[in-house]
Amino acid sequence: MKTALARLRYFATDALDEWRHSPGVNLLATATLVAALFIGGLALLVISNVDGYLDHARNELNVHVYLLPDPTSAELRRIEQRLSSLAEVSRVEYVDQQEALRRYREWYGGSLAALAGELEANPLPASFEVYLAPGSESGGAAAVVTRAVTGFDGVDEVWFDAEWLDRLDALLRLAKVGGGVLSMLVFTAVVLVMASVLRLAVYARRDEIEIMQLVGATPSFVRGPFIVAGLAQGLLASVAAVVLVEAARRGIFLYAGSNPLAVLGIVAGGPLSVSDSALIVVTGLVISLVGAWFAVRRTT
Amino acid sequence: MIEAPPGGDLMIRAMKLSKRYPGGTAALEDVDLEVGRGEFVFITGASGAGKTTLLRLILRQELPSSGQVLVNGRNVGALPASKVPDLRKSIGVVFQDFKLIQRKTALENVAYVLNVAGLPRGEQRRRAFQVLRSVGLHHRLSVLPPALSGGEQQRVAIARAVVNEPTLLLADEPTGNLDPDLAVEIMRLFREINARGTTVVVATHDRDLVKRMQRRVVTLERGRLAPSESDS
Repeated sequence: MKTALARLRYFATDALDEWRHSPGVNLLATATLVAALFIGGLALLVISNVDGYLDHARNELNVHVYLLPDPTSAELRRIEQRLSSLAEVSRVEYVDQQEALRRYREWYGGSLAALAGELEANPLPASFEVYLAPGSESGGAAAVVTRAVTGFDGVDEVWFDAEWLDRLDALLRLAKVGGGVLSMLVFTAVVLVMASVLRLAVYARRDEIEIMQLVGATPSFVRGPFIVAGLAQGLLASVAAVVLVEAARRGIFLYAGSNPLAVLGIVAGGPLSVSDSALIVVTGLVISLVGAWFAVRRTT
Repeated sequence: MIEAPPGGDLMIRAMKLSKRYPGGTAALEDVDLEVGRGEFVFITGASGAGKTTLLRLILRQELPSSGQVLVNGRNVGALPASKVPDLRKSIGVVFQDFKLIQRKTALENVAYVLNVAGLPRGEQRRRAFQVLRSVGLHHRLSVLPPALSGGEQQRVAIARAVVNEPTLLLADEPTGNLDPDLAVEIMRLFREINARGTTVVVATHDRDLVKRMQRRVVTLERGRLAPSESDS
């Protein structure tokens, strides 16, 4: 244990010495890794934020049961009772014409809101907003609601639009698969770049390596400092990448302003999770370890 | 000249040792050689005679084309790669071009061998200091090789070669880059090391130096062992 610690200390000291000896090559390797991990980190940020937004949007989904003009109170009561009795429904809210107009003005604002004021009569129908029970599959639940009230007196149309969410969901799944494949390609490319750059450092010390071998150093003893230097680069680069991703996220969020519906606001909505940050750090360490291994494997 | 030991306790034994390089160049041809434990042997010959090749085969820097070389009873050519570091730890080596690690100080260069051997850091520095003192360099411990003179660099290299108390010391043209006075000084160090029981094999083409030392001489001519004076 004591010997292993002493050896590790020697590897770390020699690795530091190696940094001082060839700063250019080591900075190049680290910068390459930072760039790759930063891009990967941004992709993770976007995917996790859009994923979170989709979950949130799915929870907020509701079915609109639009009513014919001037429904009677009996019709309203029957429709509401039928909707409330469904297991797939958590809550039913009646929205009369005035409330519908108020919401329209609030959501659309500007000239579109003014347009509504210029009309002689309120064209917006009253409706029931049906909130689906948490955990229920939205498409299936919406179909149950639609079947339950279709043909009821006073009901004009049942409307549920989850198609955009399904499309976005499919797009996100595609992005995850494509991102995975792309990540593997980038991973391989960065490993090769790291190995080539680190090989320059090894090549610069080839005379020294020969001397080490001549005095009886084992291959692992010769490789140790290079591997530790590589791991240190990986750690440094991955921490820098996580910090840069967070800085970029804050910049994007500020640029997007306070509008929560803006696309940029969604993709930069939340910081990288601890697990995603850890994934970046582990990836950085693995890339640098594999790169350093390839770099020293042939020489030693 | 001094005779070779008649068998018995051998440090090095070469049997029909040959080394041919691609293209057919024969660096060594059927060399039979015995070096006794605790002996001091010079290997002489003109440039290209095969002196360096012989040392490289002993140190397992190269493999023989045919024949065998045994060091301390171990067939060097048949050693698995994983055992080569152990062989080299038991042999001290001094080169004409010193082969010091340029970014390490004199003390660190010497201590490196002990680091490889797994000694504690404090012990490494203590023993490296003692050996550097024995070669008269205790005032140059923190100096990097480029700031040392040729003679000083060679003394650091010798200190590095003996700090691990090897049973065998190989030196390849150790005085080739030094002036005659320094060459004598280096030979004095080798004699002292030999007196402590270490087998010393020095390859050199400096016949004057060899004559002055009065030790056994093995001569190589175009890769073959030349008959010793006692044979003729």
